Amino acid sequence: MSKVIERFPAGGAIDVDDLLAALRNTPAGGPLTVGDDRVVEFLVAFARRLLRPAVARRYPELGSLGFFLRRAEINKLLARVADEPGQLRFPRGTVFHVPPANVDTIFVYSWALSALAGNANVVRISSRSAGAADAVLDALNDTLAEADEAVRQTQRMVTYGRDDVVTGALSAAADLRVIWGGDRSVNEIRRHPLAPHARDVTFPDRSSFTVLSSAGWLGADERERDAAALGLYNDSYWFDQAACSSPRTLYWVGDAADTEAARTDLLARLRAVLDGKRPEVDAAMAVEKRVATYGLAVDGTATAIRFDGNELATVELADPADIPRRWLGVGTFPQARVDTLAELAPLVVRRDQTVTHFGFKAEELVDFARTVAGRGVDRIVPIGDALSFAATWDGYDLMREFTRITSIIAR
Amino acid sequence: MTLFTLDQATREARLLPELVELTEHHRANSPEYARLLASLGHHPGRRYERIADLPWLPVRLFKHHVLKSITDDEVFKVLTSSGTTGDVSRIYLDKEAAGLQQKMLSATLSPVIGPRRLPMLLVDTRALFKDRRSFSARGAGVLGLMNFGRDHTFVLDENDRPDLEAVRAFLDKHGDQPFLIFGFTFMTWLYLYELARENKLDLSNGILIHSGGWKKLTDRAVDNDEFRRRFAEETGLRRIHNFYGMVEQIGLTFLEGTDGGGLYCPDFSDIIIRDPRTWEEVPVGTPGVVQVVSTLPRSYPGHLLLTEDQGVVHGVDDGVWPGKRFSILGRLPRAEARGCSDTFAEAA
Repeated sequence: MSKVIERFPAGGAIDVDDLLAALRNTPAGGPLTVGDDRVVEFLVAFARRLLRPAVARRYPELGSLGFFLRRAEINKLLARVADEPGQLRFPRGTVFHVPPANVDTIFVYSWALSALAGNANVVRISSRSAGAADAVLDALNDTLAEADEAVRQTQRMVTYGRDDVVTGALSAAADLRVIWGGDRSVNEIRRHPLAPHARDVTFPDRSSFTVLSSAGWLGADERERDAAALGLYNDSYWFDQAACSSPRTLYWVGDAADTEAARTDLLARLRAVLDGKRPEVDAAMAVEKRVATYGLAVDGTATAIRFDGNELATVELADPADIPRRWLGVGTFPQARVDTLAELAPLVVRRDQTVTHFGFKAEELVDFARTVAGRGVDRIVPIGDALSFAATWDGYDLMREFTRITSIIAR
Repeated sequence: MTLFTLDQATREARLLPELVELTEHHRANSPEYARLLASLGHHPGRRYERIADLPWLPVRLFKHHVLKSITDDEVFKVLTSSGTTGDVSRIYLDKEAAGLQQKMLSATLSPVIGPRRLPMLLVDTRALFKDRRSFSARGAGVLGLMNFGRDHTFVLDENDRPDLEAVRAFLDKHGDQPFLIFGFTFMTWLYLYELARENKLDLSNGILIHSGGWKKLTDRAVDNDEFRRRFAEETGLRRIHNFYGMVEQIGLTFLEGTDGGGLYCPDFSDIIIRDPRTWEEVPVGTPGVVQVVSTLPRSYPGHLLLTEDQGVVHGVDDGVWPGKRFSILGRLPRAEARGCSDTFAEAA
């Protein structure tokens, strides 16, 4: 007998087979539909709780989540999967989500979109969950009191230890499996077979970088530059610069003189942000950063390393193409200069996810994307928006992934 | 003959030029090390007033990179460390370094164990050496020390159970003369101390050399003082020397003085405790991260290494031996190296 612990709706241990049997029962008010009112009302009430000042102040990332789930935003999401002449949208059925442990709110986005699509969901919550994730579970359980019984029956979040039987049972029962994980985890979870009609949506290891126009920086006003420094801080220091979308390398695009001036200015403003925010960088993390950056010098990737306290390390890359894609510890920024954005296109690989930008015109960014031609880079967003979740993620239009189409042609 | 003779001022004055010379030697012979120095702004010919100003390397670099100052042809031996995460340090020795390693270890220990090989009790199991594939750092540590004794007797049998008969036989034969005991700290406590206390064994002629740290004993509330007190009271064992060393520092053993008042540095070495916020040296009595300093490493650039251990200097030139008197307080927690989305491994 393989048990899981129910976190939402909060309960005790339950056998995985009993959990799956309950999911298969048709809810009293009829099966869930795409954009089902019972789910929409629940999500809107949940979002209101997240937007309460006490919650949003303590966990700013939950404020963003609450914003994402407001009624107006939900309507926009649903418009993407509205019925069309000759084409009806339905839920996929049962979706099994395996979220990451370190970015502790992503499971909510994954789940909420799938619920909105009308699916029954089982979300695996890390036993290491803490802080924001626990606040989310509390808010979900509090919201349940006013919710339709169908929500309680079809939406489940559970914790379990290393148990192949549970992972196997949940995988076999799924119509869609969503794996947010490193490459290794994706491969491990994939050992468990899906039903023939089912498939995976995977979010493997990714890395991200920033492009800044040197001339654009120097042409920006004080307010814009301060906002960009703060944006870079938020993009990088939340989640210890370990989120897939957190930028690592900073590419300056422009001539040497402009770049030198712009870079010095950005680093001074980032320093001011750090002096205000005082992020915690403990001794272990400080050593980690030394190991990572010194290693870049040893293997010839870096030509200069500078530490401005433990919170900020910059590394000059010997060659802009030699971009370090692995995690280097929080507040570690390799830097390089190129003459044009187009020079960066050849070094893009599939693993590259988000490009945050400052100081470019829209056409320049579109040209860059066309030059890259889909070989990598799924998002090009302003500096400061790296971590803002969107319904299109890693190149997937998630509302469409979470639904299926029945086409009707009447002669 | 003893290697614990230099007061702090003499030691620093003697070591500084040697360390500067070593830094230049490694710069000239290891392109990797030369690149690192250049990246950090330590250019040739820079003057250093104090040992603490010289550039140090985080010890974990040896786990991810080949760092050596000898040619491939000159490599005589490669030492590897244990690693809980699967990473191991690789330390490259030429013939000279390999010889020096054993010689300096011997010279360091001679003031406490004397010039002759003594009968030796090993608080470990012979099974440690049975399977070559699983030959561990623990095995290597035991093997390295075995050279200092004779008539080796293991305290544990092949199933890791205390072997009372073997220990009794050893003590019957050798217990009335000085004999050597070696073991990892926690094993010495869990197996030898318990066994000796329950069976009223007389260890009063023993000389115990032990290492490995106190982490596994903290839940038993056993620290160095308690360890020494209880061994003395219950078994008569009073000559106890803790030591501290690492594979990345060949031939260097920081040894506890006769009174248990702290660890000391052999004359060719020193220790610097750094503040993990500023990386400056901290005053006596302030805990920090341990940097080890040694003039022995010539075949690899390991003469100035930042460890991942925390320690504290209790005093300078105020103990049974001259120089810094210090303790190791435990390991730094390891920052988790992460992939970006890191699905919790237990799900897999």
